[in-house]
Amino acid sequence: MLENLNQEKSIYVQISEMIETDILRGILLEEERVPSTNELAKLYAINPATAAKGINILVDEEILYKKRGIGMFVSTGAKEKILARRRSEFYENYIKTLLKEAESIGLNREQIIEMIQSSK
Amino acid sequence: MNATRSLNCKNVTKKYGDKIVLNQVNFTLEEGKIYGLIGRNGAGKTTLLSILAAHAPLTEGEVLLDEETVWENTNALQYICFSRELNLSAASPLWNMRVKEYLRMAAIYFPFWDQMYADKLIKQFELNTKEKFGKLSKGMLSMVTIIVALASKAPFTFLDEPVAGLDVVMRRVFYKLLLEEYTLSGRTFVISTHIIEEVSDVLEEVLIIDKGKLLLKENTVELLEKAVEVSGLSEVVDKAVNGLDIQCVETVGRRKHAVVLLKEDETIKEEYDVTVKPVGLQDLFVAMCGNEA
Repeated sequence: MLENLNQEKSIYVQISEMIETDILRGILLEEERVPSTNELAKLYAINPATAAKGINILVDEEILYKKRGIGMFVSTGAKEKILARRRSEFYENYIKTLLKEAESIGLNREQIIEMIQSSK
Repeated sequence: MNATRSLNCKNVTKKYGDKIVLNQVNFTLEEGKIYGLIGRNGAGKTTLLSILAAHAPLTEGEVLLDEETVWENTNALQYICFSRELNLSAASPLWNMRVKEYLRMAAIYFPFWDQMYADKLIKQFELNTKEKFGKLSKGMLSMVTIIVALASKAPFTFLDEPVAGLDVVMRRVFYKLLLEEYTLSGRTFVISTHIIEEVSDVLEEVLIIDKGKLLLKENTVELLEKAVEVSGLSEVVDKAVNGLDIQCVETVGRRKHAVVLLKEDETIKEEYDVTVKPVGLQDLFVAMCGNEA
């Protein structure tokens, strides 16, 4: 988790996305403890309430779960869950913007498909 | 301390002769949050903090810790520490004082003072406490004010421009120390600053003052989620932001930028061909307070 925080998204969204990416990359393993809100706060120099907000998104999605008195852990099946959601959001997050940009510069669908097919 | 306290700033007005420095300022600080007080030079930040800590009298209104006034009230004031920015001249009584003596005074003055913590910070900052104030650099003066603030252990601690004299490495060290102390103790901190961008993630709530008036007091994350910059062809931008809370508009040729604060349920409709970008705290602050520049 060395990515720098930027301004494009809310800090808490970035925190939750970073934890997700760490799970996908195998930096955080299932049933392993994730850094606490206070640890995240210190690491990124952010308010603990903001870090907690990022963690809570993942708890709501059951990607993380709380062990009382110990901390937050990665749920079993978290990786699959994150992949499934990111796949379902792929159209909304990437294809839609791609088509919008293509339209504004006068590229039609066939040309885009050709580009995709010729790219390795 | 068991029950959570709150510090109430009620209708506070401060005048110097005819000049109104603070105008009907109202807010409540809850215990257990880090607040940022931001404003331009001369906006009234230091005056406000001085009044909250009863270092200076107010003209109208009152400051209450729970139900008690803080003015000339030693019981209430033991819970408040205002660590002022030290700007020294040779005429200042501090000029020939050693840092050690100043810290010894602080240790007597603040009832919750933690000497072990102060010693740890002195070591961490590599501060030579045998030095006289007249010999200290700007950065070292900032470190002294930070040490006093943190080691005071006061439940309400105000820091006036704590990072102004520090280099970027030491600023980072300060934010981490602050967060560490905050998470351990749950004290309330108010930090006044005009170095906004880097501190914005540390602040749970932000208070913006301009020309002696409190413009807003809001949760930082929620505030920034509402703030967007809309840019594009002038007429299209006009239509897109029509009826919204516009903070600032800039036009360059046919292009227009508008910074708006969206209310709940308001959005910039997709039908308009405009670019919508989030706005950082610093840019939002400039949009709100930079009108005459």
